[in-house]
Amino acid sequence: MELSRLSHWYGAGETRRQVLFELDLVIPRGEVVFLMGPSGCGKTTILTLVGGLRSVQQGSVRVAGRELAGANEARLIANRRQCGFIFQAHNLHRSLTARENVRMGLEAQGRGLPPDADERSERMLAVVGLADHANKFQHQLSGGQRQRVAIARALVAEPPLILADEPTAALDRQTGHDVVALLRRVARERGMTVLMVTHDNRVLDFADRLLEMEDGRIVAARPGAAAAAPVNP
Amino acid sequence: MQIRDLVRRRTPLGWKQLVHSKGRMAIATAGVAFAVLLIFMQLGFMNMLFESAVMIHRQLNADIVLVSSTSRDFASPGTFPRSRLLQAVGVPGVADAEALYVTPRDWIKQSETNRGERAQMLMIGVRPDFAAFRDPEIAAQLPLLVETGTALFDRKTRGNFIPFRQAIERGERPQTELGGRTVTLVGTMQIGSSFGSEGVLIVSDQTFFEFALNRVPSAPSVGLVNVAPDHDAAGVAAAIRARFGTYDDTMVMTMEDFIEHSKGRMRRDSAISFVFTFGTIIGMIVGVVIVLEILSADVHDHLAEYATFKAMGFSNRALLGVVFEQSLILSVAGFVPGLLVSLGLYAVVRSALTMPIAMTVERLVLVFGLAVTMCALSGALAMRRVRKADPADVF
Ligand SMILES: Nc1ncnc2c1ncn2[C@@H]1O[C@H](COP(=O)(O)OP(=O)(O)OP(=O)(O)O)[C@@H](O)[C@H]1O
Ligand SMILES: [Mg+2]
Repeated sequence: MELSRLSHWYGAGETRRQVLFELDLVIPRGEVVFLMGPSGCGKTTILTLVGGLRSVQQGSVRVAGRELAGANEARLIANRRQCGFIFQAHNLHRSLTARENVRMGLEAQGRGLPPDADERSERMLAVVGLADHANKFQHQLSGGQRQRVAIARALVAEPPLILADEPTAALDRQTGHDVVALLRRVARERGMTVLMVTHDNRVLDFADRLLEMEDGRIVAARPGAAAAAPVNP
Repeated sequence: MQIRDLVRRRTPLGWKQLVHSKGRMAIATAGVAFAVLLIFMQLGFMNMLFESAVMIHRQLNADIVLVSSTSRDFASPGTFPRSRLLQAVGVPGVADAEALYVTPRDWIKQSETNRGERAQMLMIGVRPDFAAFRDPEIAAQLPLLVETGTALFDRKTRGNFIPFRQAIERGERPQTELGGRTVTLVGTMQIGSSFGSEGVLIVSDQTFFEFALNRVPSAPSVGLVNVAPDHDAAGVAAAIRARFGTYDDTMVMTMEDFIEHSKGRMRRDSAISFVFTFGTIIGMIVGVVIVLEILSADVHDHLAEYATFKAMGFSNRALLGVVFEQSLILSVAGFVPGLLVSLGLYAVVRSALTMPIAMTVERLVLVFGLAVTMCALSGALAMRRVRKADPADVF
């Protein structure tokens, strides 16, 4: 994944305001990178641009060799299918069971449900420790369990890139710690790249690299604690 | 096979969402059912009116009908030269042919005040020894009409004729005024009111000319032609037409054509089609509004989920399919109860009003098509909001 001279503006005319300033960033395949910084500095904006949820205005975003600047809707959708999204809120569908929610991650690939969709979804739920909860609806699950279902949904199609925006914000200390540990373990096992926004000092141990942002610029980069330790902490 | 694949290969999100909010599904289903019911009743009543106008046609014992070229329907048939009837008898395949004389006549019917009230009856004159009607009840009583000045009275005449009827059944011979002369009612039969006249009186041809002084035997109203066995009516009708050659004063129609001709006249010349088509459209609008309300509310409630799905890689089309799926489900779910209630009401109308109302396959297919159209239209309107779900909003 590669950003070069990426700038972004919100609004139009008088109220037009620049929120990203000529960002350069390269994340090699398989690296786990945490993005930190004060509120409003542009972290979420970066995620939406990399994920193809917003059109690139200036500069370049390349994900797995695909250029997103000037991409049409079809290219953006193709890019979204390469990314697993984990949101601050779990955003599960309340009319679907845990298994069906995870399955939507496979259906989103645009080729319908594969024949083994249910087995793959259940395997993924087992990976996040929810093998016994496949048939439950979201109102029957705790906050941490919901977020783990959301992680399973993001990972089930084995996307090369995981984009996560403060996935621990709604969770208590221990649960947040467990969820990020889980995310890192699975990503590592499958060689996925992770770009995660977090404010949470307690989970920094799991990063290979920590990026500090301020006012639309990356102001500091340092290796995370996990960079030293190659295996699961 | 392929359709089954398609169905199995996606999660039936629309269905899941509807089932999840049962109250909403119930309201939408009731709305569609109500619209379907409304449409079935409108179309049923419309057809009933057309059918009641040709009930008398179906009573006639004839394969082919001769009428004046200017004829509108049975109630205002005009006249044609009797010599055409004689020509027709000579055509191979014609078994027999007889004249029917028809005219509207005022009579005095009973009323609340004992003075009576004027009303218009359709007077049909026929030779008493000719089996002009299919109904055995009428055939059995025709000999009674040999006595001039007597008539068979239509029990289904609009209004309250119970005293009349009871008197006849007691064997009495009640009298009333018809066209300025006294008529004696000697029996009852059943044909029914139609547009223009309140009921029917059957008399002999002799009686007919006494009551209708302006009419002569040489100018009948309707010619009833029966074809010999192993001849088909359409072929014989064509032969009769050929025999008439350049005489264009008389139309030759098979009974089915005559029925269609009369219905077609009614469809074009009366406001019936317009009124009931209007009612049908109102029914559709009611359905569209209710379903649109429900589908829009459902889309609104799921905008966050739709935005999430878009972020995950779902195309707009896949999500529009969810709304479309819902509209199809609602059209089927509402059609079935709407149809069942309509069948019940048809049965009530048939037995309580003795009117010819019946479900036809064509109407069933038509109304199902309308229900699907209705829901699809609502779906298409509700879908516009799905496009607004912005995947960038989910973070
Ligand atoms: N859709 C939008 N329209 C206009 N301005 C926006 C929009 N989204 C974000 N902004 C503005 O852009 C700036 C960067 O927003 P962004 O969401 O990227 O910040 P962030 O670093 O994720 O903050 P937080 O930590 O609070 O989530 C903020 O000042 C915000 O007010
Ligand atoms: Mg943010």
